[in-house]
Amino acid sequence: MTTKIGIDVGGTFTDFLVVSDDAEPQIFKTLSTPKDPSIGLINGLTDIAKAAGSTLEAFAPTIDTIVHGTTVTTNATLTRTGAKSGLITTEGVRDALEMRRGIREEQYNNRYTNVPPLVPRYLRAGVRGRLDRKGREIEGLELDDVRAAIETFKAESVEAVAICFMNAFANPAHEKAAGELVAREMPDAYLTVSAELLPSIRFYNRVSTTVLNSYNGPKLRAYIDALMKRLADTGFKGVLLIMQSNGGVVLPETAQTTAAMTLLSGPAAGPVAGLGYAEAHGQKNCLTVDMGGTSFDAAMVLDGVPITANEGEINRYRIALPMLDIVTIGAGGGSIGWIDEGGLLRMGPQSAGADPGPVCYGQGGELPACTDADLVLGYLDPGYFAGGKLKLDVDAARKAIEEKIAKPLGMSVEEAALGMYRVINTNMAQGVREITIKRGFDPREFPMVVAGGAGPNHACMIGEELEIPLLIVPRESSIFCAAGMLMSDLKHDFVRSYVRRIDDGDWQTLNALIAEMRAEGDALLDSESISKDRRDYILKLDARYAKQYHEVTHEAPISAVEAQDGEAIKALFHAEHNRLYGYSLEEQGTPVEIINVRLQAVGRTDKPAYTQESYAGADPSPALKGERKIIVPETGEAATVPVYDGHNTKFGYRITGPAIIEQENTSILVTQSYDCVCDQYGSFAVYQKGREELVKPSLEAVA
Amino acid sequence: MSKSDIDPILLSVFARAFKSITDEMSMSVEQTARSPILCEAKDFVTGLYDGEGRMLEQTENLPILAFSLAPVCKYIIEYFEGDFKPGDVIFHNDVFSMGNQNNDVAVFRPIFFEDKLVAWTAVKGHQADIGGAVAGGYNPNAVEVWQEGIRIPPVKVYDGGTFRKDVWDLIFANIRFDIVQEDMRSQMGATNVGARRMVALLEKHGLDVFERHKLALFDATQKMMEAEIGSIPNGNYSGEGYVYYDGKNKGSKYTIRVDIEVKDKAITFDYSKTDARTNGFVNGTYTSSASATALTLLQMVNPDIPHNEGMLAPLEIIIPEGTILNAGYPAATTFGNHLCPPNADAIQRALAPAIPDRVTAGWNNLLSSLTTGFDEEKDDDYVDIFFMGMKGGAGAMNGTDGYDHIGMIDASGGVLDQDYEMFEQQSPHRLIKHEYLTDSAGAGQWRGGIGIETVYEFGSDNTQLVTFGDGDYEPAFGLFGGGDGTLNTIKLTTPDGNDVVPLNKDLITGLPKGTVYFQQAGGGGGYGDPKKRDRTKLAEEVKNGIISEDTAREVYGYEPASQAAE
Repeated sequence: MTTKIGIDVGGTFTDFLVVSDDAEPQIFKTLSTPKDPSIGLINGLTDIAKAAGSTLEAFAPTIDTIVHGTTVTTNATLTRTGAKSGLITTEGVRDALEMRRGIREEQYNNRYTNVPPLVPRYLRAGVRGRLDRKGREIEGLELDDVRAAIETFKAESVEAVAICFMNAFANPAHEKAAGELVAREMPDAYLTVSAELLPSIRFYNRVSTTVLNSYNGPKLRAYIDALMKRLADTGFKGVLLIMQSNGGVVLPETAQTTAAMTLLSGPAAGPVAGLGYAEAHGQKNCLTVDMGGTSFDAAMVLDGVPITANEGEINRYRIALPMLDIVTIGAGGGSIGWIDEGGLLRMGPQSAGADPGPVCYGQGGELPACTDADLVLGYLDPGYFAGGKLKLDVDAARKAIEEKIAKPLGMSVEEAALGMYRVINTNMAQGVREITIKRGFDPREFPMVVAGGAGPNHACMIGEELEIPLLIVPRESSIFCAAGMLMSDLKHDFVRSYVRRIDDGDWQTLNALIAEMRAEGDALLDSESISKDRRDYILKLDARYAKQYHEVTHEAPISAVEAQDGEAIKALFHAEHNRLYGYSLEEQGTPVEIINVRLQAVGRTDKPAYTQESYAGADPSPALKGERKIIVPETGEAATVPVYDGHNTKFGYRITGPAIIEQENTSILVTQSYDCVCDQYGSFAVYQKGREELVKPSLEAVA
Repeated sequence: MSKSDIDPILLSVFARAFKSITDEMSMSVEQTARSPILCEAKDFVTGLYDGEGRMLEQTENLPILAFSLAPVCKYIIEYFEGDFKPGDVIFHNDVFSMGNQNNDVAVFRPIFFEDKLVAWTAVKGHQADIGGAVAGGYNPNAVEVWQEGIRIPPVKVYDGGTFRKDVWDLIFANIRFDIVQEDMRSQMGATNVGARRMVALLEKHGLDVFERHKLALFDATQKMMEAEIGSIPNGNYSGEGYVYYDGKNKGSKYTIRVDIEVKDKAITFDYSKTDARTNGFVNGTYTSSASATALTLLQMVNPDIPHNEGMLAPLEIIIPEGTILNAGYPAATTFGNHLCPPNADAIQRALAPAIPDRVTAGWNNLLSSLTTGFDEEKDDDYVDIFFMGMKGGAGAMNGTDGYDHIGMIDASGGVLDQDYEMFEQQSPHRLIKHEYLTDSAGAGQWRGGIGIETVYEFGSDNTQLVTFGDGDYEPAFGLFGGGDGTLNTIKLTTPDGNDVVPLNKDLITGLPKGTVYFQQAGGGGGYGDPKKRDRTKLAEEVKNGIISEDTAREVYGYEPASQAAE
């Protein structure tokens, strides 16, 4: 028997999905422990063991694999609470990091300010020593300058050092020498050397990515060390894997040296998970939204593939590493309601998080949060939150909303709570617009897979605003990303520079480079115990027409390189260039040159299989557990609506909105514009009233 | 058309789809062009227009180019009297038929749907060369257009899908560098990318729905713009900005004077009292000057207003022919885009009393340079516009410091520094320094943006340097008690130790390898009393060397001792 656990640490809750050969997947949730997230993680494992009638010490050694997504680096970057960092760079260019090439993203907005640099100017040291454009030394590295920088860093208690020199992509010698000195003099500092992390041209991309890595390194390193120690103490002997921004997983040691690759570790599993649920409804495209306690993530899957980017930004800091394209905004159950200077009601981005949490948690929170509003409006059961583990204090929530929102705005508590609910829904709808409409897609054409503990309570109103006709709420929605982690493959990305025209190809060298990357990939996959028949190697070439500045990355079969078939490779490039940019220079015979060779080594993992339920009829009354008074969001009127037990719904049940479907860890509000049918995989398909054709697979069983 | 025919969600889908089409076209040029002017500095604009040439959306990497495409589109429709076929591709740069600068060459592609001309895509970019007397196009000695470059009135290089080799060769026989051909192919490709997306959008929604929503969008945008203008107090306001040195007569100075009338929902900019044209190349065209006016006003209104035909409807801009802002045939006008900063100065000064919280202090004016020569190691010609050196600080406004190292107001942070390593790949030069310049920011409760200092070494013998710009006589002005920024300077030191200080519009040839180029781009003007500046910010700025201790003490009245007590 194998046991795998997906663990997603969020800002408020830590989610667990336990999958074993012989049992239904099980969901667990514990409160996150932001000061040391590994504590919450161990708490959760203890709960899982207890639920199985065992102890942590007995259970832990039976776990084969833990896949873990962490927001340690994301939060550090968003809140700028990473390590105190220093930068050693070439004399004369120390401000490049802060200048960001002189861009102002909003050209017409004179109120728009630059982001503070992750390394302040007084900790950016320029040192003498210079390489030319081909990596030839013009001036030797001045180690005394490096020493002076180290002295400053020591005096300022710098914890992390980034090294990035001009033209180091062509010759890493100076960086290596400086790096060795720093490693010797500051053995405890987290060190990132640019040419090791990202050996490619473009100074600004490299310096920014290098600094992001070192800025986040110490926190991630300490966290993973603590986690591995805690797991070892429990007797865990299996494999721990860390989710990366590219949608793949790696070993913890790898993650520790490339901290910047975990900046989207948490949400990166979302699109993979969403696709699984959408496919059950015959869809290859979907939106995924995940509303947790602190943040809201929106992503998109197109033709079965999550949309990705080779470079991007986090909080306007440039990062030139492959990652999934995800829009994140500060909206969650913990988002605090407040009145701005203009007297307008606002929600977030400040969050009450897990500690102290919303007022209704009774843990000392005094500011009204989204969860408080949901509770006052009747969408949450005060006695059944987190399955009853956390009793919610309705009176405290009412009082906070009254004082902070209702009184200043001169309205009733219910009106104020509904206002909070509407404002945060509008914010989240804007996040969905970012990922769809801004990229030229119409959100109405995509089913929206809804995740996160707070998501299903808000999804209908987001859908209503954007006219999205079909929402899919998986039964595991509250631990969506944890589920996605178990569906993710191991992925290792490698890159080598190979600057040469295809017509003048040095095929022997090219094949040797590929073999080298393959060997590195195999070594990692060996350590991850992936058998040979489960390995895939995806070759990509960064190529361009001679004298172009930027490259097109396109897939090429390894067999074509082995066969030295330059014509076939060029044909692929011409076609991709034409698809992306509207023309090719095939007729002109312009030479094509390769710049970089990329190899992704993939280790396919076993995906949890979901059993299909058998049809149980349309009548949902067996799952009816009671009724509750709520404020109907579309009208603002009070109404008594049925409450169903989401753990007892069966395939085929049809529930008419407005209604509430409760599970231990989440609650679905089906508003009066929507109806719901339970599908054969246990998910809830929520569709616009009158649009039954959208959920045909679930209804066809009737016929 | 009734209101009920308009689907508000669809309206925002269209608005965003138009934007994403022009963004995608922009990305296409950025990724495929050869000249660093286009792919690194993004000195180009992409646009989408309806069948009548009305602006649907633009991606304005360089705003000064942005408002110069729609007039050309309308001119082209008129010029060919509607004789268009699917597969046509049209080139244009002519400054006397609505073009803005000779080097800015546009590609237009008509888009057909159901056999009807329904839209246009266009890309205009600054070419590395445009023929004429001087490589790179900036000829400070020019007195008429033919000394500046080749004129391209509207011409079809593809006629109904058929490539016109003869026309193509006629154009490119007059242009020095081969990469211009490749860059024009890149622009053509981008118009194709946009056309595919546009056709897909029409196939999905139908022509009828598109037409209805397009008009609703213009209408909604116009109303937003009218509301913004309505919030400026009615009245007449005047201001001046100054141009120093016309490239011919040392010590010459010209005045740009604007008389602004705000009346309810309409605003008029009247430049009738502006000085007459120069006899050199320091002259504007109507399109470049009106673009400057529009982009300055747009910085004073809600930045979220969509950029389409409706936005410009409430504006009237009067620029009589024969003035420095609209020189008329056959004047030399290559400098015209760079009359934007003094034009913006005039507008900021005029409106400061009326809307003190929406204007900015003066921005650093552009002083730029361009080198051409032969890269021996690569056995190839090069041309480099030195973007990274020319970007000084923005003017401060009430409540916000000026943006650091942003560059001229006509780009507002849209034109980027070349990446340092790419600069060294594309030219033989070697960068020595590119850093913030201490004490360059105009002092104030809100300080101006910081300027920069740049140094590099020429890597080719017989290098030709062209300078163009201003800001070395008059610094960016402070407002309401704020201080001025610092001046621009360029200086060369040849290997034998001689210093050469070029004029702000100059052409110097035969510079040897090893010549060191030194440049300062000044800071922006400050806003309000420096004594009121936040002390925590000052402490940080002193620690980071942005403001010196002396300046902190003398200008800001900041005592480190009082800081320690806090």
